[in-house]
Amino acid sequence: MSDYAIEALDLVKKFPRRAPAEQTPAPKNPLARLFHRPPPGEFTAVDHVSFQIHRGEIFGLLGPNGAGKSTTIRMLCTLLEPTSGTARINGYDVVREANRVRQSLGIVLAGERSIYWKLTGRENLEYFAALYHIPPEVARRRIDELLDYMELTSRANELVEKYSTGMRQRIVLSRALLARPPIILLDEPTLGLDPQAARRIREMVLDLKRQGHTILLTTHYMEEADQLSDRIGIIDQGKIIALDTPSALKQRIRQQDVIKMEVAGWKPEMAEAIQSLSGVSQMVSRYLEQDGIWEIHLQTGNSRAILPRLIEHVNTNGTHLVNLNIVVPTLEDVFIHLTGKALRD
Amino acid sequence: METTLSSGTHLTSLSRTTGLAQLRAFGAIIWREYLHFVRYPTWVIAFIIWPILFPATYIFSSFALAGPSGVGVTRFLEVAGTDNFLGYIVVGTSVWMWANTLLWNVGFALRGEQMRGTLESNWMTPTSRFLFLLGSGPVHAVSMLMFFLFTVVEFRIFFHLTFNANLFSLLAVFLAALPALYGLGFTFASLVITAREANAFVFLVRGIVMIFCGITYPLAVMPPWMQAVAEWLPPTLIIRAARLAALNHASLEVIAPDLVRLLAYGAFWLALGYLTFSQIERRARLKGALNQY
Repeated sequence: MSDYAIEALDLVKKFPRRAPAEQTPAPKNPLARLFHRPPPGEFTAVDHVSFQIHRGEIFGLLGPNGAGKSTTIRMLCTLLEPTSGTARINGYDVVREANRVRQSLGIVLAGERSIYWKLTGRENLEYFAALYHIPPEVARRRIDELLDYMELTSRANELVEKYSTGMRQRIVLSRALLARPPIILLDEPTLGLDPQAARRIREMVLDLKRQGHTILLTTHYMEEADQLSDRIGIIDQGKIIALDTPSALKQRIRQQDVIKMEVAGWKPEMAEAIQSLSGVSQMVSRYLEQDGIWEIHLQTGNSRAILPRLIEHVNTNGTHLVNLNIVVPTLEDVFIHLTGKALRD
Repeated sequence: METTLSSGTHLTSLSRTTGLAQLRAFGAIIWREYLHFVRYPTWVIAFIIWPILFPATYIFSSFALAGPSGVGVTRFLEVAGTDNFLGYIVVGTSVWMWANTLLWNVGFALRGEQMRGTLESNWMTPTSRFLFLLGSGPVHAVSMLMFFLFTVVEFRIFFHLTFNANLFSLLAVFLAALPALYGLGFTFASLVITAREANAFVFLVRGIVMIFCGITYPLAVMPPWMQAVAEWLPPTLIIRAARLAALNHASLEVIAPDLVRLLAYGAFWLALGYLTFSQIERRARLKGALNQY
């Protein structure tokens, strides 16, 4: 048996994509223009990604939407075939031994529509237990155990369409655990959940680790990745740009001060002036729609030296500083440090 | 967390793939199809209203064309080879309904899963992917048997229609038709999952069946080239054999040539369905088309 639960080696996934129409001149002949299609191109969703995950480890794949997290998960769970590179789950090759891989995995993909809403919670689990080839007697015991664990026993015989989003997600998680798989892939498991339901799922993830499961978790919530993961791979534009423990990643910018400001009346042209201040290494801005103000993150080698000039620059031409803090670096700051953009851009 | 899950120090999967396990999975797919079928109340319309509604339009048209004394229908009956023109139309339209709903139900089985968001969760399991396609067939076949029963009962009540049926031959027609129609449905389902839009295909196929297969008129009224095409279409053979069995009490020997050809078509369409599905499944994995809708 392999030392690693999951191994990805030089994984590449390219999708066919037609070039945008504006990039290809249309023919002059009106008839030819009618049938004109831009030439086929390619889009690289995952670009030479490699990592190894130890048994019993929680590994977080952190990145913004469209970074390649879900494509990576889909290749690992055999839904997509890699363009090149290899991956092994529990020692089995994802292309050549796909069925062995499926037997070793429990998977939660993003979204709550991956179960049948016209079936009850119990019927869903019975159905998927049969698909996972679990012997009937074992399945019955396992389903009771899971419903109890998820605190869904009293609602098990109700149609899923009557469940809350959090309850549906617990049925989805139960489905992933049915076969007691050694490895669990969780793709954005708390997406769209209210804070309480999300906290409950996070507690369960930690509990599953205690029981010996290996977990690969993708998320774009940095707090979630930080709280749950033993190691984190930061992924952007299909590439892993950093891979380490959360504390080691944050250590990378320990020499930097992180300044977080809230500004009213911010004008985009001010960004250039602030970035040109001596000592500012990174800056990203984000509009907080709910509060009607802008949040500005700055990274600098010496906050004390630049603060007077910074405040002077911000409090001009009708803009004014609402709040300013020098904060402890988070994983989001690591991401900003590495890419020059925010996780949720 | 108050309760914990049973686990050992070394986790081993409970999944055990065997032939029996695949069979159980196939049973579960049929059971799930059944639950979905009965939990959407539209089945009442399918069973009770459609059997009488659809043939009724042709029946009233034929009453109008035949005239008050029925004199206009004489020529039709000569060519059709039966004097039971009501039964003639009902058998034709029922087979058309069968082919039509098959294209919608079996042909859209995977597409339905794709749109519902459940296709990927099914395909992540170790169950053979072809079973998901096969599993959509049995519930549909049984529901069509119910449809035929309702058709007979309703036409008996409302139009006093009588059949001179050889039930054994009729059952043989039904069984011989299954491979051809479902093979066609499987091929269709595979195309639908990649094209992601299938209405045009459905209209094309059911239009062809409606015109070429003689659902309400004898093939003899069509030009020779259309008759030649019709002979290659399974619904033509199903309709012809079903009419002989349902209206003329034909024995198995009489309809045997059509049944043998139907079984041959069935082998061809099932093989084509399987090959198309395997190709499309691989293509979907390469292009990432499974979760697109």
